[in-house]
Amino acid sequence: MGVQLFLRIAKMACGAVFSAKVRSLFVVLGVSFGIASLTLIVTAIDGANRRAVEMVEMFGPDTVLVLGGNIKKRAAGMRTMTLTWDDVKRIRQSLPGAYLVVPMRSKSDLTLRRGNQTFSGTHGVGATENYASCWNWPLSEGRDLNQEDVDRAAKICLLGDKPARELFGAESPVGQVVFVNKVPFQVVGRLSYRGMASGGGHDLDNRLIMPLTTLTMRFNLDRKYFRAIRVKFHRPEYMAAHVENLGDLLRSLHRLGPGDDDDFTVITADEVLKFLAMFKGGLLVFLGATAAIAVLVGGFVLANLFSITVSERSFEIGLKKALGAPNSAIMLQFLAEAALLTLIGGLLGLAMGLGLGQFLTGLGVLVIRFSWKVFFLSLASALAIGVVFGLKPARRAAAMDPILALRGPE
Amino acid sequence: MSGPAQIRLEGLGKTFVHAPLGPGDEHREDHGVVVLRDINLTISRGDFVALQGTSGSGKSTLLHLIGLLDRPSQGRYLLEGRDTAELDDDAASAIRNQHIGFVFQSFYLIPYATALENVMLPGMYSDRPQSEIRARAVELLERLGLADRMHFRPSRLSGGQQQRVAMARALLNDPDLILADEPTGQLDSTTSKEIIELFRTVNQTGKTILLVTHDEDVALAARRVIRLSDGRIVGPS
Repeated sequence: MGVQLFLRIAKMACGAVFSAKVRSLFVVLGVSFGIASLTLIVTAIDGANRRAVEMVEMFGPDTVLVLGGNIKKRAAGMRTMTLTWDDVKRIRQSLPGAYLVVPMRSKSDLTLRRGNQTFSGTHGVGATENYASCWNWPLSEGRDLNQEDVDRAAKICLLGDKPARELFGAESPVGQVVFVNKVPFQVVGRLSYRGMASGGGHDLDNRLIMPLTTLTMRFNLDRKYFRAIRVKFHRPEYMAAHVENLGDLLRSLHRLGPGDDDDFTVITADEVLKFLAMFKGGLLVFLGATAAIAVLVGGFVLANLFSITVSERSFEIGLKKALGAPNSAIMLQFLAEAALLTLIGGLLGLAMGLGLGQFLTGLGVLVIRFSWKVFFLSLASALAIGVVFGLKPARRAAAMDPILALRGPE
Repeated sequence: MSGPAQIRLEGLGKTFVHAPLGPGDEHREDHGVVVLRDINLTISRGDFVALQGTSGSGKSTLLHLIGLLDRPSQGRYLLEGRDTAELDDDAASAIRNQHIGFVFQSFYLIPYATALENVMLPGMYSDRPQSEIRARAVELLERLGLADRMHFRPSRLSGGQQQRVAMARALLNDPDLILADEPTGQLDSTTSKEIIELFRTVNQTGKTILLVTHDEDVALAARRVIRLSDGRIVGPS
């Protein structure tokens, strides 16, 4: 054989291997995009579900939050400070089923100091007795606010997990003094870690709770109105009735006529769930369509490239048949190759999806949750793409006439 | 000198229904191109037969029929006394795997596999254990002088070396019959002689060899020459 011809053949052989590599890469990439979308959608929905459960647990299925102002009709200049001490007193006295009523006001961006250590950006909340229990928020140490603290406008506070860790580290903050915007407060309790930082905008654990009276006196806030009231009910199964009674009571207290809009908003765990369901639905439609298209594209890339592969490697198929490979062995070989490529694509897609999910979580767009379910679902889908889209080329390979196949593509 | 009849062809014929337009169309009868007609041939165990003829004489088709890669249109083909018409695809595959070894003009080695892997290939479709297949492949490659080329890919082997790898592959499952289609067609004359010598050695171990060639020198090495012309056996002379 001439050297020139030999070199040509060698070059063509290298070319074939390289082109197969590029082709394999395309298959892997095509499938991986599909699996990445799938991974993202499943982890995001799992994340949203967990978040929903956590939020309902945190919010409390037996509790409502009344906000001043009407969230649904946010007319310009509408007052949001519509709730008063009188409302609180009347709810406590006459609303059937209500057993815990806690009014709240907040002041953002407090600066805390202990010795020469400072920590700023903490969210300050003024509340009355039983703040922690009305939010189903266990204390990791110390005690909740009590009525005496409120009556005396005592300079005491509950510290959230974040400032407690920042200022005290492993030390117990209970009994210690922190300066809040230069006013000294004694810490009486520490809230446990809630860890709902992601997605919500601000860190729930970065807060400090003091008696409402103390907040209005020491920080010069309006003493009559406040922003929100938490109401906890017995018999949560009658929540709808509770909410209606509460609404009627507030309307009459605020002297609203039959044609007037509410000047308050009642939020229940149901509302939270509705919002989350809406969010999840949008996510499902958007990512679901993306995932379906990506998976389909990946599958078609696979089917087409494999079809070319079968034609190009027809001599290999013919040879194997001549050497005694049954048709089933040929089919299995191509299916196995397809499955291998899609599994690699699946693993890559899984990594890409989780990476993208982490990135989006970091941006606060969504929350993802990894589970083995996602792992197996992704790989099973990848395998399914390989088998479903690889089947036709594999069957074509198996059905080839060995003599024609040996002759190679015309 | 020859053993009992191994291959027996009785009135064998082959017609290609979908005839290509071009050379060969003059053979067209009612339903297509007749490639082989009324072939009667007996080949005994241990024989070395050269099948000679010009291109288009039907010799490759005859080899394919004997190798169970194709089915006849007319007549009977008895292999070891058994009518091959009864065999389904998988049974034919099993016979090819266990009893027939193929050697081709263009070697047909898988480019991305090493010499050793290529030789082991027929073993992959048998139920022999992997270690035994490997040991047998190594032994054959050593015997054919390729001990130091075992882990080379075909692109790094010369034509003669590639054909020896193909020979080792054909011998892996210890078949009774070796079918070779122009095995020296792409080799220079020196290498051709080596390969033909190899066929003779193999024949001396009792294996039947049927070799298609248009090369007179190659045909001379055989014990028996059969000439084909226009799809008919025109005699040994």
